[in-house]
Formats: sequence, structure tokens, C-alpha cells
Amino acid sequence: MTSIPASIPAEAVRPTATRSIDWWRWGGRVFLVFLLIFTVLPMAWMLLTSIKTQFAALQYPPQWWPAEPTLQNYTRLLDPSGSIGKEFLLYFWNSFYVSLATTILGVAVAVPAAYAFSRFRFPGRTFLFFAVLLRNMFPAVVFLVPLFLLMRWLGLVNTHGSLILTYLTFGLPLSIWLLKGFFDNIPIQLEQAARIDGATRFQAFLLIVMPLSSPGIIATSIFSFIGAWNEYVYAYTFLSKQETMTLPVGIQRFFTEFATDWPGLMAATFMMSVPVVVLFLVLQKYFVRALTEGAVKH
Amino acid sequence: MAQVVLKDVVKNYGNVYAVNHVSLTVEDGEFVALVGPSGCGKTTTLNLVAGLIPMSGGDVVIGDRIVTDLDPKDRDIAMVFQNYALYPNKTVYRNLAFPLQMRKLPKDEIDKKVQAAAKVLDITHLLERKPRELSGGQQQRVALGRALVRDPRVFLMDEPLSNLDAKLRVQMRSEIKRFHQDLHATVIYVTHDQLEAVTMADKMAVMNGGFLQQYDSPANVFANPVNMFVASFVGSPAMSLIPLAAVTRGTEVALTSPEGWELPLSPANARKALNAKSPKVVLGARHSTVKLHKSQVPGSVPGKVYTVEPTGDITFAQVFVSSAILNISLAPSVQIRPDEPVFIEFDQDKMHLFDGETEMALKAD
Repeated sequence: MTSIPASIPAEAVRPTATRSIDWWRWGGRVFLVFLLIFTVLPMAWMLLTSIKTQFAALQYPPQWWPAEPTLQNYTRLLDPSGSIGKEFLLYFWNSFYVSLATTILGVAVAVPAAYAFSRFRFPGRTFLFFAVLLRNMFPAVVFLVPLFLLMRWLGLVNTHGSLILTYLTFGLPLSIWLLKGFFDNIPIQLEQAARIDGATRFQAFLLIVMPLSSPGIIATSIFSFIGAWNEYVYAYTFLSKQETMTLPVGIQRFFTEFATDWPGLMAATFMMSVPVVVLFLVLQKYFVRALTEGAVKH
Repeated sequence: MAQVVLKDVVKNYGNVYAVNHVSLTVEDGEFVALVGPSGCGKTTTLNLVAGLIPMSGGDVVIGDRIVTDLDPKDRDIAMVFQNYALYPNKTVYRNLAFPLQMRKLPKDEIDKKVQAAAKVLDITHLLERKPRELSGGQQQRVALGRALVRDPRVFLMDEPLSNLDAKLRVQMRSEIKRFHQDLHATVIYVTHDQLEAVTMADKMAVMNGGFLQQYDSPANVFANPVNMFVASFVGSPAMSLIPLAAVTRGTEVALTSPEGWELPLSPANARKALNAKSPKVVLGARHSTVKLHKSQVPGSVPGKVYTVEPTGDITFAQVFVSSAILNISLAPSVQIRPDEPVFIEFDQDKMHLFDGETEMALKAD
């Protein structure tokens, strides 16, 4: 290589970029900090109250930090021999059962439905897909009375079946929509290759598409699980027998029967939020991927 | 390996015909390129042979079986896709083994075949990797490996080289050609790149608008294009087409331009020109068959230089002749500059004449 000598002309100037303080950026940070405090403070207060004694919880001015932290509220809730513990564990189990059933049934329906919307061209496809999303444009409460009447007619009031059915109708549109985005992102050539390589259409789906879309299926499952786990209005309306109640409704009973037991209520609320938080933490990367996948072309 | 016959194959979506009554025979061991611009129906044709989309009409025969109603898995074919379609969650080994597993071969036999295919393609050291850890060229080899691991009756290739960079494409082009020669495989190869088709194929099928335009050896397609589309599609740079009009001057026939110049035709070309349905005749000339002069010589026509593109060993010039642009290849020593007036001499034996109405090549008889 020969190098060509280069010289910078004497009159050349070097302009530098002037950088002023970016007020938008700082404004955004302040807003985020405010948002963080807004969301975390109630949680922190819930946790702190749950380890206070009954007396300390009602003190005024409030104890910011419990003087005598105690786990007594938790042991009481988790003790199956006590009446409160028995009740709480029953609600917990009911919630778990309803949420799990909703999730499994939801995924079982949403996966083939989303696949069909993603891959097949059939008459009425656009209309059907729109109809699926249409449900999400109304507030859930709008359907409360009609669904209650329907459930009474079906004889399903006071059964978990009524809740599972309702949660399915509410959860499925979003599940199908999320999963369709995932399937859309899997190149159709992969299935074609599998079919040429000797797989049937179903084998191509099972052996090639399903493993690739597992993050989407996991995210969709969490979504429907959390939705069912947290639901209150329908559970409150459909279930009146104490032994069928789910956690959100059951915990509300702490208000009425154990009106003054703030630490107990907070402990129950905290334990209810544990599965959601754990699920979210463990699987958040799939979750974020599912929500952004399909939104951006790679 | 087997012969493939497409008989009157149709694929239509309502009134839109993606493949319009295409018939062709691919002989056993032949390398056939389906070539044409995007949307011409070449990939659809390949997918119909593979059975990936249902046919609207016609039949596909592979060997001694009419496979029209068979699933892709029962057609005993292998396919290489443009985006390779390697299974991203499987290792290279398991990608290669998949077609064999689907055919329920015993494990030790699968291993033997996978190792053999890997050795042929020089990818043995990559067997434990996932596809995303491979370069484009390596992925391409794995895709080829997955096709040849199980000895199918026909290889279908859908633009397998178009995702590679230019240098690798040339290298893989000769490797695929070599692999075809060694295996005596029947290959149907889809490409939009006429150069790939010309260099690799025994025969090329030029398609446009769902119709098969011409099906012949690359040399014949190059030398005798049946119509203006094929003429302008095959060859690089493309054949130049100049719309003119035929006039009779006593016993002579000449082509005239709107600008007023006349180009007398040889007796053979005159007969061709007179076979046109109307006086409109299009003159076609390949870049290598025309001569450029700086001053007028007998039988030359005037033009004006548009651009000059030196490539090193050949200089390409584009020259305005009448209303069209004519490509000419020149020796690098020729010095011309844009907007310079020049004179063009056509080789009467190598020029092509097309009917201006039907766009078909004109014949002398």
C-alpha cells in the first residue's frame, strides 16, 4: 500500500456540537420516579402492615416501621387447622383451580384458532378475526347481567364452570391475537420444508411450529392465568356460596367478618399477589417478547 | 431419479392466473431452470410440483406416478428454499436427520447417511451447531445437505442462491452444478437471475405472466428468442429493441425511423420484415453484434451517446438510436464521451426482427 500524504488546509475549522441540557429527558426521568413511587408505595405499605400486630396497625400517628415485626398473620392464614386458615386455603385452592382450568382450556382453543387465522385463507376470515377482537372493545361489566342470566338458565350459577366459561370468553380474544402474531412470524417455508421432508400437516405443526412458538404459548398462558386469578366482579356475582369462592371475593369477606383485622387482610392480599409476581418474574422475557413480536419486522 | 412431466398445469385465484396452462417435460437427470421476472409464476409452478399448494387443473407426473393428488411427503421430492428454511431449534445434525426420521429409518442408518452427506458438503465440523450460528453459505450447504441426504427422485430449488453475497453466489453456483453432474440428479431450479439459468441449466423455461414463453437449451433461447419478452429478458446486458417501420423500395426492403433515416435489409431479413402483420417492425440487437463508428459508413444509422460504463476489460456504451437506447460493448481503448454523435452498424446475420403488433419473432418463410 502506498499512502497518499494528506494535509488539512490551514483555514479549515472544526465545528463542535453544542450540547445543552436535555430537559425532556430529565422531565421523563422525574415522571418515571414519580410513577415508581406511586406504584411501589401501596405495595410496601401492604407488606409492612401485614407484619404488624393488630394494635400497631391501628396506631395514630402510624408506625412507619413495625416496632415488633411478626409473622403471626401469615401462620394464621396458612394453618389448615384454624378456621381462618381453612377458609383462606380453600379460596386459594378455588382460585388456583379456576385459573389453571381457564389457562389450559384457553390455550387448547387459542393455539389451533390462532394457527388457522395465521395460515389458512377461508371465507369470512377477516370478519371472524375482527369479531374476535370486537369483544375487547366493550367493558367487561356490560356483559355481567346477560351472562348471569345465561348461567342461571344453564344452571351453572355457584359453580366454577360458570367462571371458567366466562374467563375463557374474555381471555381468548387476546390469546388468539397474541398467538397469531407469533405464528405469523414463523416462516411458512419451515412447515413446507417439513411436509416435503415427510411430515404430515399436523406433524409439521406439532414438531416444527409448536416448539418455535413456545415462548408465545407460555406468555399467553401467563396472561390468561393472571387474568383469571385477579378477576373480581364476575366471581362476586356468580358465586354466593362460601365454599366455591375464589380469592378476590374471599378476601373481601375479611372486610366484613374480620373488619378490623387490617394486618390479616394485608397478609392475605400479599399472598394472593405472590403467584402473579413469581410467574411474571420467571417468565417476563417471554412475556415482553410476545407483546412486541409481530409488532416489529425483524 | 426420475422424469417430471407437467401437463397443462393451471393455478388460478379467481380470474387471476398465476400459472396458465403450462406443459413441459423434464428428462431424467436434466437440470431445468424456471426463469422469469417476479410474479411470473415460476415459484408457484415449483410449489405445484411439490404439492404445497393445490392445483386448479392439469397433472404432474414424477417417474411413473401421477402425483397430482398426493401430499408433498408422498411425492418423494426434496426442496431447497430461498431462505433455507432450516429448523432453527434443531442442530445441523438433527436438521439433516429429520427427513430420515420422518421415514422411520433405523438410527444407525440415519447416522451413516447424515455423516456421508455432511462429508460431501464439508460441514462435518458444523453438525452440533444451531442454524443461527452459521454463516449464509454454511446455512446454504446444510439446506442442500437436507435435500440430498435421502436420495429423492427430484430436487426442487427455489432461488437457493439469492440470499448469498455476490462472491459466494458464484462459488455455490458452480458447486450446485458440480453436484448435479455427480449425482445425475433431476433438478428443477427457480431463479429470477437469467445468468444463473444460462450458466447452470441444461434447459431453461422462460415464464412471464403465468405463461411459458420458451422452453429450450440456454444457447437456443439466447440465439433464437421466440418473442420480445424472451429477447429482452435473457442476456446481460439485455437485447436492445428499437421500434421501426418497414418500407418497400422496389425490390428492396428497409426499416425507417421517425427521424427519417433508413436501414436497408438483407434479402433474408427483408422476407422476415414482410411477414409482419403491420409495417411495425422491432429491431433487436445484442450488444456484441453492433459496431460503433465515429463517422458514417454505408448501412450505418445515426445515434447519440448517452452513457459510457467502463468495466475494465469491456466498456459498455448506451447509445440513443431513434427512440430507444442501444447497448454496445466496446474495447476499452475506444474513447467516446456522452452526447457525442456516433454511427451504428448492425450485423444483418445476427439481428432479430419482431412483429411490432404481436411481439413475436419474425420468421423468413
